[in-house]
Amino acid sequence: MSEAINVLEIQNVTKRFGNLVAVRDISLQVAKGEMCAIIGPNGAGKTTFFNLISGFFPPTSGTIKFDGHDITKLATHQRVIRGMARTFQITEIFPELTVFENVRTAAEVAAGYRLRPWVNRAEAAQIHQRVEATLKLVSLEAKADRLVGELSHGDQRASEIAMALALQPHLLLLDEPTAGMGDQETYQITQLIHRLHRDSNYTIVLIEHDMRVVFHLADRICVLDQGRMLAQGTPKEIAANETVQAAYLGNAA
Amino acid sequence: MSSAQTRNLIVLAGIWAVLLLAPYWMAPLGGYTALATRVLVLGLAAMSLNFLLGFTGVLSFGHAAWFGLGAYGAGLTLKFLALSTPLALVAGILLGGICGGLLGLLIVRRRGVYFAMVTIAFGQVFYYIAFQWSSLTGGDDGLRGFSRQPLDFGLFKIDILSEPNNFYYFVLFCFALAVGIMGFVLRSPFGRTMIAIRENERRSRFLGIPVERHIWIAFTMSCFFMGFAGALYALVNNFADPRGLHYSQSGDFVMMAVMGGMRSFWGPLLGAAVFVVLQDYLSSITVNWMSFVGLLFVLVVLFFPRGLLGFLQRSRA
Amino acid sequence: MTQLLLFNVTNGLIIGAFYVLMALGLSLILNLSSVINFAHGGFLVIGGYIAYTITPYLGFWGALLVAPPLTAIVGLVVERVLIRPLYGRDPLYSLLLTFGLAFMIEDGTRFIWGAQGKPVTIPPYLSESLSNDLFFITGYRLFMVAMVIVTVALLFVLLRYTRLGIRIRAGTLDLETVAALGINVQRLRSLNFAVGIFLAGLSGVLAAGQLGLEPTMGTGLLMPSFIAIIVGGIGSLPGTLAGGLLIGVASGLTAVFFPAASEAVIYVLMAVVLLIRPRGLFGEEGMMS
Repeated sequence: MSEAINVLEIQNVTKRFGNLVAVRDISLQVAKGEMCAIIGPNGAGKTTFFNLISGFFPPTSGTIKFDGHDITKLATHQRVIRGMARTFQITEIFPELTVFENVRTAAEVAAGYRLRPWVNRAEAAQIHQRVEATLKLVSLEAKADRLVGELSHGDQRASEIAMALALQPHLLLLDEPTAGMGDQETYQITQLIHRLHRDSNYTIVLIEHDMRVVFHLADRICVLDQGRMLAQGTPKEIAANETVQAAYLGNAA
Repeated sequence: MSSAQTRNLIVLAGIWAVLLLAPYWMAPLGGYTALATRVLVLGLAAMSLNFLLGFTGVLSFGHAAWFGLGAYGAGLTLKFLALSTPLALVAGILLGGICGGLLGLLIVRRRGVYFAMVTIAFGQVFYYIAFQWSSLTGGDDGLRGFSRQPLDFGLFKIDILSEPNNFYYFVLFCFALAVGIMGFVLRSPFGRTMIAIRENERRSRFLGIPVERHIWIAFTMSCFFMGFAGALYALVNNFADPRGLHYSQSGDFVMMAVMGGMRSFWGPLLGAAVFVVLQDYLSSITVNWMSFVGLLFVLVVLFFPRGLLGFLQRSRA
Repeated sequence: MTQLLLFNVTNGLIIGAFYVLMALGLSLILNLSSVINFAHGGFLVIGGYIAYTITPYLGFWGALLVAPPLTAIVGLVVERVLIRPLYGRDPLYSLLLTFGLAFMIEDGTRFIWGAQGKPVTIPPYLSESLSNDLFFITGYRLFMVAMVIVTVALLFVLLRYTRLGIRIRAGTLDLETVAALGINVQRLRSLNFAVGIFLAGLSGVLAAGQLGLEPTMGTGLLMPSFIAIIVGGIGSLPGTLAGGLLIGVASGLTAVFFPAASEAVIYVLMAVVLLIRPRGLFGEEGMMS
């Protein structure tokens, strides 16, 4: 019986900061092509959990496996090289470069060119193609030559997602992708994430506060509260779960 | 070719025309060739520093150390080892670059203010050594007793000692070589990672760039270029000075880069030209010229932080 | 031999005390505002010259009392006008600014008071030595060390128990939270700067009495102050204290065995510390990185 290897396997992970336990004994498995949403009230430990996955700091205890390999001790950039891409709540982009240049940087690093003094014409063309394709995927091809710092909030987020996609990731980590957006932009980003999930079959883990987004998109929802995993399940199950309702959904999200 | 590319080419051609013809247009303006040579060398130093500062976003305030080491390397080679200008240059390049690379290993994990402080302190170590080891370096008086040797091509020689124009073109050739490599690297995928690190270090890390390693590489490269500039400077005056290692010299280089425009490739050269000319002029008319240089620092920082070229170059292609 | 040892170690402690006073001021400013104050030596000089100017009217003790606060006021003005606009920006700019400021101050003092060294009169009862054997322990030197001890103690009391002090310490750890608590961060920075400059001015007055007064005296103390901070650990005031004393004593001890290397040893010490414990003796991991 060969079991498909889970993209992400987190086992009993705990993170302590001195006396403060930010994340307590959380386990999570994410299968290929799954979209898993992490929700919870402020201070529940969602961002800390994310930081543990992406390698910002190591866990106090527990293991993290990515594509079957133990990555618990690996540094951030090593996890990225293995196929983990992340976006941030406050968009992290290269503001004074164009959209194209932003994504090209990502593509070149992913292609292994980061130390190269030069690329030949064929390689350059391939990179160019890849960037264009990625921009098309996020509907930014028309704005390729604009400085990212000058774009709208939604377009900046889309650029950031494009950079993540250019890394050809096995796992996309999206930290509050709709943070700070109005209805129109939220809709656009939600549609984008939906396309990435349904059409391109990306494995996605995201933190979200916007319940419409979460319940619309996610295969599975994990509810965090005070560092613990309160509940896990399909949107239906979570909506029906009384503990969750009490802790979180009861309050206006 | 797009209009932006054409424009860039024209600008580039213009710059090289100005540089190639300098001995000819300087005289009518009251300048002299040796001044141009000095500007070229200091401009190269400022551009080498800016390779790190403006394009990687890392502040080293002790970079004159590599400049000074380059100067001493060249001078000591000519004085004690061999009467060969090319060898002297290579010695200077290696001394500056290798020492810089080694120090870089120690400090590259830190950034910002800590990094700046440590580079200042280490720069001073070399200053102190040059100052104290007077039997080798001539101490406070500096290293003398050497001069630039004619370039021997076998069939003919070029005298660069007594012919200022010859020397100027030789330096220009070296300048072109260094600057060419710099530009090439900045346009390469590696160069793009440098710029990425400058723009957003966190994002760079989260793209899979090993940031410390890349900073170290950029740092070391800039030290090699700096050593080159220093070696050339020793040839300019046939003299190597411990003051060339002092942090105030580092400050001058940073100011040249800032004044000319840190985000622009040629900015530091322009900054060097303005700085050198200004300093020459000021020191000839007042004994308190240092306070004016200090005032210049203050004014530029408060009112022109983007520098001359940054001022002009706001919209991009 | 003991005589020589004692002489040099005492010298080392005294100079170490100076380094401590200077470095603490530098450290305060660095920790809260991330500004490397290159002009710190300049403020030392200003302190000394103000003392020199006041002494004829108020005497030595009057000058000692009045010159540091006056220097701090100068520091306040400088901070408000020149440094405040730079806080949001890359630390590069404040570095360049204080750097240029240092030049201006040096030349400025030269312009106002002349390039010649100025004599500073200290009360005669202070210049007497303790005994013939311990000729190098003059009353003045004891007085200086006493002053430094008192000042450092007062500083730690300030930081530990006064409202300003607590805010400075909190701000050093997390300025954002301090601002969010409604505390006026601009004013906090200014006051912190003033305290730092007060220390520089005081150093100047004390140094004037010991080393004589001339425009370049500040720069010689600046680099060792940097090194004291690096060795002790950036971000830690006790570290700066330890660092200053350590390099002073190391310098003194070396003078006994290798007189020529007594200056070099502080650089060697710094290199060693950076190699085996990059955060400094008392530094926090992750500080300033």
